[in-house]
Amino acid sequence: MRIAIRVSAVLAALFSLATAAEAQSANIQALATVYQPISFTSTRNLDFGNVFPGVAKTIGIAAATSGQFQMGGQASGNVNLTFTLPTNLVFGANNLPIGTWTGCTSPTNTTAGCTAFTPSGSATGSAFSALGALWVFVGATVNPGAAQAAGNYTGTVTLTAAYF
Amino acid sequence: MRPCLLLQLLLLIATATPAAGQSTVTGIRDLNFGVVIRGVQTSVPPSDPIRSGRFYVRHILNRQVQLRFTLPTTLARVAGGGNLPISFAATDAIAQGTAGSSVPVTFNPNNTQTFTLVSSADFYVNLGGRVSPAAGQATGAYRGTVTLTCTFF
Repeated sequence: MRIAIRVSAVLAALFSLATAAEAQSANIQALATVYQPISFTSTRNLDFGNVFPGVAKTIGIAAATSGQFQMGGQASGNVNLTFTLPTNLVFGANNLPIGTWTGCTSPTNTTAGCTAFTPSGSATGSAFSALGALWVFVGATVNPGAAQAAGNYTGTVTLTAAYF
Repeated sequence: MRPCLLLQLLLLIATATPAAGQSTVTGIRDLNFGVVIRGVQTSVPPSDPIRSGRFYVRHILNRQVQLRFTLPTTLARVAGGGNLPISFAATDAIAQGTAGSSVPVTFNPNNTQTFTLVSSADFYVNLGGRVSPAAGQATGAYRGTVTLTCTFF
C-alpha cells in the first residue's frame, strides 16, 4: 500500500513537470515618419509664343517662358517627380508635335546651378530644400510641319510628386 | 520488480519534456510605415513583404504554441512632444508555417491565439496595422514597441 501511494505521488509530480509550459517573448519596433503634405503654390505655362511652319522652336529651361512648378513640402524631404507629357499640342483637328523635353530642379526660383534631368513618366529623385521649397523648370521643342495650320495650339503637362 | 517499474516510468516521462533551447521566438523585421502625411491615415497589410512586422517562432511538431501580442496604442515622437495613434484590426496578423504545404492563417493580434504545429515545427508571424496622424501632427520620426509572447506547450 505504501509503495503504491509513493509511486502515485511521484507519477503525479512527474506528469506536472512533463506538461509545464514555457513562455518566451521577443520585440520589434513600429516606426513611422510624419511629413507635411506636398503643395503646388504656383505654376507657369511653357509658352513657345509664335512658331512658323517648318521651323522648329525650342524653349530652354532658363527661358522666361519655360514651364515652372513651385512646390512646398517637408524640409529636406526626398521626393520623386514623374511627368505625363503630351506628344502633340492640339488645335482642333491639327497636331503640333512636341518633344525633346528638358528639365531642372532648384531650391530657389532660379535656374542658376539647378540640377538637370529629363522629364518623363519614370521617377526622377529630388528633395525639398531645408526650408521645404522646390522649383521645377521644364523646356521642350515643337516641330511644326511645312503645312502646319495656323492657330493656337495647347497641351497639358502634368507633374506628380510623391515622397519616398 | 516494483522499483524497476518505477525507474522505467521515470525515464518515459522525462523524455516528454521539451529540451531547453528547442522553442524560440525571434523578432526579425520592424513594422515600418515609412513616410506618412499629416491628416492621412496610413495602413500596412500583414502581407506586405517589406513593411510588415515579422517574427519567427520555432517549437516542436504536433505541439501547441499560444501567441499573445502586447500592442502599443501610440507611437512616441523620437524628438519628444508628440504621440501618433496606432491601431490593429482583426485581420492584421498572419501565421504561416515554413512547409510548402502550409496555408497562411489570418488572426486578430488583439486576441490570444493558439496554434497546433501540424505541417512544420516553425512558422512566421506577420503583423500589419495603421497609423492615424492628426492634421496638425508634429512632423518627425515616431516609434513604439511591439512584443510577441509565445507560450510553448
